Amino acid sequence: MPTHSKLAIVGVGETEFKRAHTLGLDALVIQAARRAVADSGLTARQIDGIVSPDTYPPHDEIALGVGMQRRAFSATTPLIPGAGPVAAIIQAQLAIDAGLATAVLVTYGTQNSNPGGPYAYHAADPLKADLEMPVGYYGQPLYFAAVAQRYKHEYGLESEQLGSLAVAQRQWASRTPGAQKPAPITMQEYVQAPFIAEPLRNLDCCLLTDGAAAFIVTSLQRARDLPRKPAVVAGVAAGSNPWTLTEMFTQSPRFLDIGPGEAGQRALQQAGVSLQDVDFAQIYDCFTMSIILQLESLGFCKPGEGASFVAGGRTGPGGDLPLNTHGGHLSHAYIPGITHVVEAVRQIRGERGVAQVERAEVGLVSTFGGPDHATLILTSDR
Amino acid sequence: MTSLPDYPPRFDTDIVRPYWAALERGEINLPACSVCGEYQWYPFGFIRCHPEATLEWKLVPNKGTVFTFTRVHRSFLPNAAAKAPPYIAALVELDGIAGVRIPTVIINSESQGTRIGMRVRLNPQKRSTYTLPAFEPDPTP
Repeated sequence: MPTHSKLAIVGVGETEFKRAHTLGLDALVIQAARRAVADSGLTARQIDGIVSPDTYPPHDEIALGVGMQRRAFSATTPLIPGAGPVAAIIQAQLAIDAGLATAVLVTYGTQNSNPGGPYAYHAADPLKADLEMPVGYYGQPLYFAAVAQRYKHEYGLESEQLGSLAVAQRQWASRTPGAQKPAPITMQEYVQAPFIAEPLRNLDCCLLTDGAAAFIVTSLQRARDLPRKPAVVAGVAAGSNPWTLTEMFTQSPRFLDIGPGEAGQRALQQAGVSLQDVDFAQIYDCFTMSIILQLESLGFCKPGEGASFVAGGRTGPGGDLPLNTHGGHLSHAYIPGITHVVEAVRQIRGERGVAQVERAEVGLVSTFGGPDHATLILTSDR
Repeated sequence: MTSLPDYPPRFDTDIVRPYWAALERGEINLPACSVCGEYQWYPFGFIRCHPEATLEWKLVPNKGTVFTFTRVHRSFLPNAAAKAPPYIAALVELDGIAGVRIPTVIINSESQGTRIGMRVRLNPQKRSTYTLPAFEPDPTP
């Protein structure tokens, strides 16, 4: 086994999250990055690497906007963006291990108010345009509705099971400064909410957001000299399932297999912890349904048991499985994957006030984009 | 009564043209590997089992079963005129054709409803400039 230098996340930053921003994506990303640098206690001159899940804004512009003087390492993670921000930590690890960089900025922003919204990503796929859109098989809510309907057929799925997640995350969002949807909802409001594509309602779907977030990765040794409590990167692993994003929501031979699989186990093993040790989890929630499937894939419960596993409000404040403790992509903001990392860091630091999880020593972040996935285990400095 | 989307194929890739051409005649034509016969669905620009092979098109049964479906209340198709919800988007597995699911719309199922495992048959529907591969409940045993 290769040995890695122990890393920590030392700074986090984010913009205001809105349905539509007047600032451009470049300005948003740079604002989030500057805030992450300021939060870290490092100076911009001490940041010498950038990893981002997207090619825009370009790294020379980010470096200029942040005030970096020396950009010794620059990389774009080729994983499909939902998994990109966590996978970026692996590239930061490689760069730091190799002595190419000492403090790496990871940043990611989205502008869902652009024409075509988040769906345009799929419309750009020639085979989807030529085989799926002509029959109206289009848009992420439809994809996950088709998955949910199949799950319902194989295992059973109640509205209130999905609703439990949606209601719990609004409770977390109501305790989170800057959340886009801070007003709590009741289960009755959930079951009366309009369907987008059955069995998914509008409250099962993530928000649309213009905004950005960022964090800084450096060695744990260096992190110990900085003013804030380090969030230790105890385990991080990425992987990919053997099918394409193009085919995933129609042709996948394992239609209900969405999530981290063995990469999740690798991250846990690296960290030397088991699922029983996890004090809170941030699970990529483009839809309520995607949470259920990732929990099954991670081994929190068996395939087919995820829907009953999350029911009854246990993922909300005071529950025994605190999950998406900022409100997640459903209620906080949809900057795919990265806002889950930022929240996990804040929980480990103990900064979350009324949303603080008691004894938040071990946090799990699970993300995916299409067949790609990445899992992070953050711990306090033990 | 459900309505139907109308969003013509862009033909970003010519590779799918034989599929759409066959639908005009009420048939389903699928691409297969010329070496081993494995269906290449979806057809990428390469053949996954035998990279040196070519695509061979085969007419296949136009009956099958519903693998999954969703009643779409809000469509996100880019062109407003194309949307026409509610409609029932579905994936159909054709009889005897392993590993292939046809994206489709289920029509004429108002009286009996749509369910996974339901027997269906092709009932192509003319749209503005193309024929949509809709399926309907198959009453024959």
